[in-house]
Amino acid sequence: MAQNTTNGFPEGDALQSQISGRHLRGTIWRIVFLSTLILAIIVLIILLVTIFVDGFGLVAVQNVVEPESLVLDYVETDMLTAPDTIASEDDNELVAGIAGDPDGTGFFGYAFYANNSDKLRLVSIENTIPDDTTTSDGSYPLTRPLELISSASVIAAKPQVGQFILYYLQHVNEEIENIGYFAIPDAEISEIELAVMEALGLDTSGSVPMIDPATVSGNITIAGSSTVFPLTERIAERFKADGYGGEINIESIGSSAGIRAFCVDGSIDIANASRKILPEERAACRSNDRDPIESQVGTDAIAVVVNPANTFADNLSLEELGILFTTAAVWSDVDGSWPDNPVHRYIPGADSGTLDFFASTAFDLRLQDLPKDALVAILGAGITENVGRRLEREQRFYNNAVVFNSAEEWVAVCSSDEPPAGCTSEERSQNNVYLLVQERIVQPKILQAWPLTESIFNRQTIIDEVGATYPDARVEFRSWLNRHFLNSPTSSQPELAGFRTAILGSIFVIIICILFALPVGVGAAIYLEEYASQDKWYNRIIQTNIYNLAGVPSIIYGMLGLAIFVRALEPITSGALFGFSDAATANGRTILSAGLTLGLLILPIIIINGQEAIRAVPNSLRQASYGLGATKWDTVRSHVLPGAIPGILTGSILAFSRAIGETAPLIVVGASTFVTVDPTGPFSKFTVMPILIYNWTSRPQKEYQYLAAAGIIILLVLLIIMNSLAIYLRNRTQGKRA
Amino acid sequence: MASEAPLAPTTRVDTSALDKKPRARETIIQALLFIAGAISILTTVGIVYVLVSQAWLFFSDQQVNIVEFFTGTTWQPRIGRFGVWPLLSATLMITTIAMFVALPAGLGTAIYLSEYAAPRTRARLKPILEILAGIPTVVYGFFALTFMTPLLQSIFGPQVQVFNTLSAGIVVGILIIPMVGSMSEDALQAVPDSLRQAAYGIGATKLETSLRIVVPAAISGIAAAVVVAISRAIGETMVVTIAAGSGPNFTLNPFEAAETLTGHIARISGGDLSYDSVDYNSIFALGLLLFVITLILNMISRRIVARFREVYE
Repeated sequence: MAQNTTNGFPEGDALQSQISGRHLRGTIWRIVFLSTLILAIIVLIILLVTIFVDGFGLVAVQNVVEPESLVLDYVETDMLTAPDTIASEDDNELVAGIAGDPDGTGFFGYAFYANNSDKLRLVSIENTIPDDTTTSDGSYPLTRPLELISSASVIAAKPQVGQFILYYLQHVNEEIENIGYFAIPDAEISEIELAVMEALGLDTSGSVPMIDPATVSGNITIAGSSTVFPLTERIAERFKADGYGGEINIESIGSSAGIRAFCVDGSIDIANASRKILPEERAACRSNDRDPIESQVGTDAIAVVVNPANTFADNLSLEELGILFTTAAVWSDVDGSWPDNPVHRYIPGADSGTLDFFASTAFDLRLQDLPKDALVAILGAGITENVGRRLEREQRFYNNAVVFNSAEEWVAVCSSDEPPAGCTSEERSQNNVYLLVQERIVQPKILQAWPLTESIFNRQTIIDEVGATYPDARVEFRSWLNRHFLNSPTSSQPELAGFRTAILGSIFVIIICILFALPVGVGAAIYLEEYASQDKWYNRIIQTNIYNLAGVPSIIYGMLGLAIFVRALEPITSGALFGFSDAATANGRTILSAGLTLGLLILPIIIINGQEAIRAVPNSLRQASYGLGATKWDTVRSHVLPGAIPGILTGSILAFSRAIGETAPLIVVGASTFVTVDPTGPFSKFTVMPILIYNWTSRPQKEYQYLAAAGIIILLVLLIIMNSLAIYLRNRTQGKRA
Repeated sequence: MASEAPLAPTTRVDTSALDKKPRARETIIQALLFIAGAISILTTVGIVYVLVSQAWLFFSDQQVNIVEFFTGTTWQPRIGRFGVWPLLSATLMITTIAMFVALPAGLGTAIYLSEYAAPRTRARLKPILEILAGIPTVVYGFFALTFMTPLLQSIFGPQVQVFNTLSAGIVVGILIIPMVGSMSEDALQAVPDSLRQAAYGIGATKLETSLRIVVPAAISGIAAAVVVAISRAIGETMVVTIAAGSGPNFTLNPFEAAETLTGHIARISGGDLSYDSVDYNSIFALGLLLFVITLILNMISRRIVARFREVYE
């Protein structure tokens, strides 16, 4: 380059290349600088996504007791114990009862109504009566499908199975009405036939060939639903009568057992089912190479009937149906325009599948909707007496009655020197009892959980895997952030653990923190800005000291809190001085100690922000005030503070949001990680949101990680709200001054 | 009113009524406000008193030797070995890693925002730093454990332990990027525009102006930011408690678990602690060490700003 120069500076091409080189370098560095910023943005996005992804996802859950069955039991008991109710396993008895009782009503399989339609009157449900159309399109609510379940692999290995199913489909509509079920339209039957033929590897383009049983050989094993059983039996008889030479073995063992036998055990060729196959069952089938083909062969319906003398009950909604078969004493309880005749109920007995079916279809109840008494009864039936007594002593179930303890025992326990908390506590709420039922009876166990990304992209793999590993488990999408999570205390079972005590704890702690730090911080800021003369050595020390305090690691404040508030001031912070001698308080490790510790921690931030806000108030305001003869305090109170308040609030909100997120000092002060009782006041032991998040994060089980993510989401949402408020206040005041 | 007052210019008005009078309310209020200001002094006194007195108890314990404390490489309270180096080395290692992340990222961000970005872009991008700064540290700990560590394991293989100082260090670095970034940006912004204009006038590119004129002019502010950031990294607790592991380990291998000063304090005090045991007192000795280190760093930072700041007219 130097050869082209005359005066030490490059010229011509060398100058060009030097300039372009400098430009290139400039561009490259510009990109480098920009990329650091982009990196920061990407990290922020990844961080938020990581948390979000962990907060939702598929879980494999297995209950010890299914909540549906508890609800069903409750509903059925309710129905069976309703007054004027006669239950019988013999449908003929029910028919006779209703036929002979002008106030009678009842329900049973449609078949029985069809055979006795002269003695009974059918009631429409939701303005629909059951017939072939309303049952197949689902507009009649009390229906269930009748299905045959098999698979292509079984049909390939045993052609006779496929041929029997085809024969079944071709002739079912000739027999089904005789059994008392509803036919599905021929067009749909044809579609199902085509699917079966495809599975059989037959040409589906032409017409469906009629099956000739005489050409079929080999045995067939069928098991499953008792409802489908008579229909299958009839078809099987016909199959044999038409010349089939093999053996058909049909067993009535119930739908679930049938599907299990088909999918998991592989011991049968066809499963009879009176419901759709569930996704987990399908997955279990797949993992055993028995990808299920469902062929619906008909529909069953329940008929709700009254005595022909009853002329008013033409139609019932599902809700009215529920009332009619449980609480209604007279017909006018169901519908006010109906007469006050008593209701006499004739219903199938407890062992009947029809009652189960009716109860599960007609009542839209969930476990958490059951009344408290019912939940207490469910709880009582499932736990030992000792556990019940203990739970009652922790917190009683009713203010005016005891459930698990005998009355004498209760009086004795409560008049002892150290009565348990249950003697004086508020009675357990319905929700509280529901949680106990969940924890003690339902006992849902999350066997495995997956983050959102895997749940979306590997959904099928996960379902198959669960079906193979845990046949009894069901896969469901779970938002770890849900109402239960917000409403329940933490628990040793991740599926039951909640955030409630931590949220309340954080609120209590932050209230103490505000009550302490805001007045003191603002007071100190006013002093330093309005009163303190910088000439005085002590004022300079205060100012320097505040800057230094702002840089002290937060955990040091925790140690200060531990030594001063928890230990030295224990009589005050534990509340003992004020007569709170509750054994449950944690020796000074209370909400009060935590709030004061955090207060000290954020005090420097509040003071520094407060000083800035006060400094921003124009001096002319003060001078004007003094000019009118106001005292210093009058000036501060009426002129300086009002002008500075938005700035002070902005800084303070930011400081409090820092306090809400602080973890380390509270670990040292002694936040409890396992608190299941809501805090009641400043002397309660406590946990706060970040402590619980920390605790969950450091547990080895993956489920707790998802809980932590859900907790973080709540914490971040809260912080975002607080920060938005601060930014809003800041912008508003900036707008005003401009 | 004035017209009703007797006009007597020759009479001397008694102004003693206007003299400053002691007013009880004013005095009380001023006293209260002073107390509010003095609470911060009490806090400092409290911290120093608590740390020193408990540390004194610790050092006067028979099992403890103050020389061993500062030189020993084993921290095993159960067998009476109290050498601080395993904890200190982990703290220093994590701080170093964090600064390797935060320094380039924070400075780059600051230079871009201050020198390159248009005012509107800056106004839009700066809140991102504020959001990063507002996220609680326990969340960063969660991030380190559930994202950073698996990422490192997939890059470096199984030699990366579940708890390791590298992951914690990187995340602490991310945590202090906003701090380095916004303090440095303030310093860069404080450099008067005339310097930049002069540099452009003699033909400097934007890069040359930024790196050779503006950054050197703002170097005291940047240095102060770095020192404060180091202090913050040393005092950071939650990320290291969650992600760096529990159990003192004298190692320089960033893939291994090692407990820091703060992590040890948090773990010991989070457990069932019996007051006045050696364990209990030891955390105060560690706290005192931590306090002294961070206090010195913060004072250095403030001194740098005060002494080396270029004052521009």
